[in-house]
Amino acid sequence: MTDCAIELNGVCKSYPFFDLHNIDLQLQPGTIMGLIGPNGAGKSTTIRILMGLVHQDSGEVNVLGHSMPKGQIDAKWDIGFASEDMRLYDSMTLGWHIHFMKSIYASWDDAYSQLLLKRFGLNAEQKVKGLSHGQRVKASLLLVFARRPKLLVLDEPTTGLDPVARHEILRELTAVMVEDGRSILFSSHNTQDVEQISDQITFIDRGRIIDSMDKEIYLDRWRRLRLEVPDGVALPTLPGVIGVQKAGRLAVAIANAFEPHLPNAYETSGARVRAVENMTLEEIFVANVEHSREEVKA
Amino acid sequence: MKANVMLELILKDWRLQRRMIVLTIVAGTAALAMLLIGGQTPLVVGIVFYFVSMVFCACLLPMQNIVNERKKQTLSFVMSLPVSAARYGAAKLVSTVGMFLIPWLALLCAALYMILIRHSLPNGAIPAGLIIMNFPLIGFCLITGTALVAESEGWGTAAMAVVNSSYWLVWYLLVSHVPSLHETWSAPVAVWSPPVFKILGVEFAIIVLTLGVTLYLQSRKRDFI
Repeated sequence: MTDCAIELNGVCKSYPFFDLHNIDLQLQPGTIMGLIGPNGAGKSTTIRILMGLVHQDSGEVNVLGHSMPKGQIDAKWDIGFASEDMRLYDSMTLGWHIHFMKSIYASWDDAYSQLLLKRFGLNAEQKVKGLSHGQRVKASLLLVFARRPKLLVLDEPTTGLDPVARHEILRELTAVMVEDGRSILFSSHNTQDVEQISDQITFIDRGRIIDSMDKEIYLDRWRRLRLEVPDGVALPTLPGVIGVQKAGRLAVAIANAFEPHLPNAYETSGARVRAVENMTLEEIFVANVEHSREEVKA
Repeated sequence: MKANVMLELILKDWRLQRRMIVLTIVAGTAALAMLLIGGQTPLVVGIVFYFVSMVFCACLLPMQNIVNERKKQTLSFVMSLPVSAARYGAAKLVSTVGMFLIPWLALLCAALYMILIRHSLPNGAIPAGLIIMNFPLIGFCLITGTALVAESEGWGTAAMAVVNSSYWLVWYLLVSHVPSLHETWSAPVAVWSPPVFKILGVEFAIIVLTLGVTLYLQSRKRDFI
């Protein structure tokens, strides 16, 4: 048994053209983790493994104290899962789906589902085939939220949504967290969404977890230093700097473990530090992925 | 108390597919009603349409109930519920077979009743009729098993093509190798000879074997979506 909502240890999965390598992941109760990665990074495979839909070749998977895939039936009573490729039954109404979920989950919250219908601007009498993409996503999330699950696993839920719909869904996700002990794993390649709501960030690329830590620490540790490098000056290799790009007399250094003494170290070497900038999560993500790919090549 | 998810999944399938079941019963009954007109042409047309209605349901039901769940991406929704791949497969098999048995049994009973009450239809046709009526049931089980295990529209369509083109061939082989089937067709009473029981037994074994292998293969799947 484990206290984590999700715990993956050394999980591997091989496909003919894709491998998931030694995935270690922990999601503490009451936190929102953003799982960020480019297309084909292994986000969906990881999520399918932790939902028991795909069996890992090796490694251990525990979700809400249940070993997966063996304990998937018990675990899924408390997991709300929605993915980008999930569709509802076209020929039936949203009300029919609500009734179906109510017949399965005793925890179904009718008042909350009515509230979500209003907030999301949905009509229970409308057939699913008449809904727009945004409305379908909202309908799927309504069916997940109103069950009041302990753990929400959302695989790219905001993909293809307009900014207003995205905002509504992210606001609702934040509201869901008001309830104690609820955890969310949220995968996306949209870093803005993840940055907005996550406490913890995990980067995944080419089947490998390349970094996982608290969002604030990420934003605090990564910096971009804009440098002016006079002719004849060689920039030193400094610890915490993962890459330097030069264009003529100008250079940009990216630090993933920024320390206040770094600018001084460059000044001492003869370079001029023109600016020290914070990086957005998207910039950190891109820099992290590029750095990880270079390391793998080396 | 936790709900019986398998039962809920079976009921869900019934609600989604019931229109097709009703349509099959209506079409099959209409075909049988043609036999009441009398004469050779309505008899042949009625029997052909009756058989076609069963074959239509045997093909369409597995495609709608199983293949479409994957094709239309509603499988992710179902698999988000507290159910494993093995239990999903079992629920799907029970719902699909159960739904097909409704029109199949209803039309089988209607056909037998028609033979018994109509003097123009000899009772000797009952054993052969029973053997023929099992063809769409066997075909349906093969298509269902393929659709569930292969999880592909292509394989489902291939199974349909093979099964549908085999009906007449199997019937031809049976008649040519078991002459008593043809010889007793016009008899005033049903003749339950050992070959008839043997054929019915083989048909039953194929059905049980197909469904058993399907369940076994489904329970061994490691990657479901």
